[in-house]
Amino acid sequence: MARLLVRLKLRLLVNALRASTSAKVSFILSTTWAVIVAAAVFALLASLRGAAAAVDLTTVIFTVLAFGWLILPVISFGLDTTLDPAMLTPYPLRTRPLAVSLLAASAAGPWPVANLIGLLGAVVGLASGWLGVLVGLAAAALQLLFCITLARFVTTSMARVLRSRRGRDLAAFVFVPIVAGYEFVTQVVPRAAAEGKLTAASFAGVDAWMRWLPPGLAAHAIADASDGRAGAALARLALLAAVIAVLGWLWIRSLARALVTPDASTQSSRVRGGALPFARFGLRGTFAARFWIYQRRDPAELAYWGIVTVIMVAVSISTILTPDGHPAVMLASSVFGAAFIGNFHANAVGATGPAFVAETAGLTGERSLRAYLSGLNISLGVIAAPLLIVVSLGLAALDRRPGYAVLAIAVDLAGLGAALGLASVFSVLAPYPMTKRVGTPMRVASDGFAVYGLAGTFGILFGVAVAVVPVIVAEVLTSGAPVLARDLALVACAAGYGLALASAGVRIGARAARYRLPEICQVAIRSRL
Amino acid sequence: MDGPAIAVRGLRKSFGQKEAVAGIDLQIAAGSFAGLVGPNGAGKTTSLSMMTALLRPDAGQVLINGLDVWSDPAAAKAIIGVVPAEARLFDRLSGEEMLEYAGRLHGLSAAQARARGGQLLDVLDLTGDARRLIADYSTGMRKKAALGCALIHNPSVLFLDEPLEGVDPISADVIRRLLTRFVGSGSTVLFSSHVMELVEQVCDHVSIIDKGKIVVSGSTQQVRGGKTLQQAFIDLVGPRASGEDGLTWLGSSSA
Repeated sequence: MARLLVRLKLRLLVNALRASTSAKVSFILSTTWAVIVAAAVFALLASLRGAAAAVDLTTVIFTVLAFGWLILPVISFGLDTTLDPAMLTPYPLRTRPLAVSLLAASAAGPWPVANLIGLLGAVVGLASGWLGVLVGLAAAALQLLFCITLARFVTTSMARVLRSRRGRDLAAFVFVPIVAGYEFVTQVVPRAAAEGKLTAASFAGVDAWMRWLPPGLAAHAIADASDGRAGAALARLALLAAVIAVLGWLWIRSLARALVTPDASTQSSRVRGGALPFARFGLRGTFAARFWIYQRRDPAELAYWGIVTVIMVAVSISTILTPDGHPAVMLASSVFGAAFIGNFHANAVGATGPAFVAETAGLTGERSLRAYLSGLNISLGVIAAPLLIVVSLGLAALDRRPGYAVLAIAVDLAGLGAALGLASVFSVLAPYPMTKRVGTPMRVASDGFAVYGLAGTFGILFGVAVAVVPVIVAEVLTSGAPVLARDLALVACAAGYGLALASAGVRIGARAARYRLPEICQVAIRSRL
Repeated sequence: MDGPAIAVRGLRKSFGQKEAVAGIDLQIAAGSFAGLVGPNGAGKTTSLSMMTALLRPDAGQVLINGLDVWSDPAAAKAIIGVVPAEARLFDRLSGEEMLEYAGRLHGLSAAQARARGGQLLDVLDLTGDARRLIADYSTGMRKKAALGCALIHNPSVLFLDEPLEGVDPISADVIRRLLTRFVGSGSTVLFSSHVMELVEQVCDHVSIIDKGKIVVSGSTQQVRGGKTLQQAFIDLVGPRASGEDGLTWLGSSSA
């Protein structure tokens, strides 16, 4: 049974690799990355040999790796199809052998092997004497088993939640803290380390409590065995094994429940108010109403707004918090914020999916196509403009140089107009089908179309950066003018300029879409949302 | 009306090397309840997509009430309704909002769209679920909502692709009665299906399509030729399965 599931997992992988080039590329990238991580973790752990806080740092690294296994299923919403218990429900399988087989299947693949190789670095880093090496090998194996059991437990517990619509909706919001966490780690940690605020000694304190977590038990068992305290080492390993056994038992129980629990997602609440808003504003109002409702009800849209905010803050926060940082970095926040709003909506038709066919009933010519694109822009603009302005004001307040807020707001408005204009053009000229992977509400480009998404991202980022240059030049050229009048004029002109760019995009998009509607429709139909 | 409600001439469509629709001709009189039947992959959905201005044909002409679909797609869309095989609805709108939206897109006033939407939801037995999100609808409810959207502007010709697939008997009955009433008022329905019993029960005109070509087209009586439609279909399209000699173990109680 275990062999069967391992072979099934490998077979699915091979078939996926045969079927698509993008799967091949992503497998090669992922495996290369796994080899690099394995080598880096091994080298890092091995380099701790003889260091004063070696065991403390090993504990921290073990805990971080276990945390990675915990968070991975949350990010990727289940790892592969072999491991979703729902796929196996039709077969007469008993829970216990099924659990063992699923564990074995989980251990097959580049990442678990990479993790084991990395963990073995601790044997080099901490172990001395034959007992130390033996305990080290056992500790590394148990730590890997702990990580896999933990990941399986999380996946199985989540599988039930993620098969329901409500669960998937909520899962969208996990993206926002993950993006925020990633930005924090990449921005703050290297800076703190460079400034000498983060050293090996910083971790000495955390070991006091981390040593009692399962990864800490593994690390300290190696140290104990190497110091000749065989009893303590074995006791720690036994405790770790007991934790794995309990986790395994909880997982089996959760698995047994998941196999016989149906999806209860259709029990849902009702929406308030029956009528569409803005109905009296003609076709443009009708389209705007639909987009507006989606901004509120589609979890992917809500997550996009959260991600835009995080990106704006992340781009400039570390510079702003540094005393000698140049405040002009705020303008980069404005450009990135505006560009990502455009980027997230640069494939309006593909993101709408097959339902777009219903909308074509109203798309009878260039005029109605303009109503469609401007309806989208209006619904985005009423959220985006205040959001960009509030974040810019917040950043300026943090920087204590409010003078820059005015220029940042002017750049926000001009950049937003450019981003929306470009999004309209991209939506029509380069539409591509999108897909939702099982269990996540976020949309991604369908296989083979990722390059369209990337082209949109870079095209819009570049376009917005170029489009805001006149606003910055105008600010510099008018630096001698009275402040209040200059500021008011600058913001008003930037808003007008942004509006002109957005409406130019709408006109170009509508004209281009006029004769391509059936082709655009086919793209929408190919979206799997 | 003098001419046919639907007239198709020499319609063709290829996807790469594969010819999905290999030149079909079809005439459906106004007031007909017509069925387009064929095995999976015969070209039913591709043909319907081309007839409803969703997929540009490589060659051929489609006339709806004498109006050339591909020379003025917008005008054609105004007089037809389409219910695709997989309902293309906005999941995050409620049923009530979806129908109003469809009505507005067809040029009805807000008040008119809301009033007609309410009446259709009532007939379709969806009033109790009118304010629930379509994301939470069952297959049958989605089909009924899609039918409501296709009828809200009172089209003269209605196209349906597998209208009753995955639909429970009660919803199926609601849909069937509504369609019969629609045809009774002089409008035309063309629907694709591979459920022969259903086609035999409701259709007065049947066309059988196979490998992208119309094999036979005429009144249900003519096409059946004294047999059941199922038998006539199998005789025309040919059995696809080979002999079952290898399955000697099947049906015995031993493993």
